Amino acid sequence: MTVRECYGQMGADYENVLGRLGSEQIVQHFLLKFLNDTSFRDLEEKLKTKDVEQAFRAAHSLKGVCLNLGFDNLFAVSSELTEKLRAGELDGTEALFEKVKEQYDITVSAIRQLEAS
Amino acid sequence: MREKILIVDDIELNREILAVALGDEYPVMEAGDGEQAIRILKEHFHEVAAVLLDLIMPKADGYEVLKYMHEAGLMAHIPVLVISAASRTDDERICLEMGVSDFIHKPFDSMTVRSRVKNIVELFMYKNRLEDRVRIQTENLKRQNELLIQQAEKIKASNEKIIDVLGTVVEYRNLESGEHIKRVKGFTGILANKAAQKYPEYNLTPERINIIVAASALHDVGKISIKDSILLKPGRLSADEFEYMKSHTVRGCDILDQIDGAWDGEYARVSYVICRHHHERYDGKGYPDGLSGEDIPIEAQLVSIADVYDALVSDRVYKEAIDKNKAYHMILMGECGVFSPKLMECFRETKEEFENLAVKFEAAQKE
Repeated sequence: MTVRECYGQMGADYENVLGRLGSEQIVQHFLLKFLNDTSFRDLEEKLKTKDVEQAFRAAHSLKGVCLNLGFDNLFAVSSELTEKLRAGELDGTEALFEKVKEQYDITVSAIRQLEAS
Repeated sequence: MREKILIVDDIELNREILAVALGDEYPVMEAGDGEQAIRILKEHFHEVAAVLLDLIMPKADGYEVLKYMHEAGLMAHIPVLVISAASRTDDERICLEMGVSDFIHKPFDSMTVRSRVKNIVELFMYKNRLEDRVRIQTENLKRQNELLIQQAEKIKASNEKIIDVLGTVVEYRNLESGEHIKRVKGFTGILANKAAQKYPEYNLTPERINIIVAASALHDVGKISIKDSILLKPGRLSADEFEYMKSHTVRGCDILDQIDGAWDGEYARVSYVICRHHHERYDGKGYPDGLSGEDIPIEAQLVSIADVYDALVSDRVYKEAIDKNKAYHMILMGECGVFSPKLMECFRETKEEFENLAVKFEAAQKE
């Protein structure tokens, strides 16, 4: 699997990321790094313990990483959740988190396939 | 040496993306939160060429880092580039107001980040170097200025010494007017201070008046080279003798020319114009150059009134002292020369001061 195919599987714009980060190797390097990023797990945990402030920070971090790596779909949903949490609201975050989780799983699964190939 | 870039972001992945974006150009230091960033700035501020700063972080956030940098006086020396998703629109405005140099939005282009960092680092390096240089030069200038002031004091003292010595020579040579020089200095000072106060256009500063008063002592220095038979002749001079006597003005200039270079330019210049022009008349009928009106240097105009007044109210070999009130009116009526209307106004207003000073000298002489 190529990096381009990986982004295709996520439904994200590879050309854009490539243009910004410079080379396929660099993009691939950071894609694999994303597997170790703890933002998503932090978010899940802080939501469970209803810690709005920490959950906001984790969601914001995830959103930022998605922007950098051009994960368009995961960015869109994590951004929505971030704004909800920024306002200090927990109501309705469960449904939003489900969407984030869905996109996160798609993203990670694509990267794992890239890693395996 | 400021050459390192401090990257402050709580997400390691983001820090690495920035580090890679900067390429090999700069060594990088990393901080995972604001507290760590402040700690690094405290210890290594002199190594940091720029800060790349995330806003939302655990512990101290980006704003607290900015606040610290403000308080520590670092904002003027270290550029800060905020890297943010900036979902809140006022973040950018607040950051720029806090003195942040640039605001870079995620997702960013690696090459753009590298160029912006490079530009700002170079700009600040240039600015810091300039400020250092200005500071050093200011200190040097201050030191040099102190030296100059000391030297100026010495030069001033030596200028005044030269004038005093020359003036004393004239006194010894010109037996009748031993006190004349002191009185002329006094009258010149009175008139100059009044003129300074009434007519700012003469630009008579206290320093200039000081020099004029000192130099007025030399107005008759040329008399040193006038023959005794004429200089000390009791009674009236013949027309030829008077023509010869008039040459004391240019003879004085010749003497002063010989010491030119040995004393300060302004003292030399003022002494010269007083010596040469203290017998010019406002109507152009004086000597040696027949200057008229304001072509006659103000220094000489002042001294000529002081000189004429003193000649009238003092005893001379060829005449007795004239009553001060009468002398005052003679001068104002134009019986003793033609002077500037402005200086006549000053003279009118200082009648009492002139007379008090004359009386003081008379009393001193009797003792």
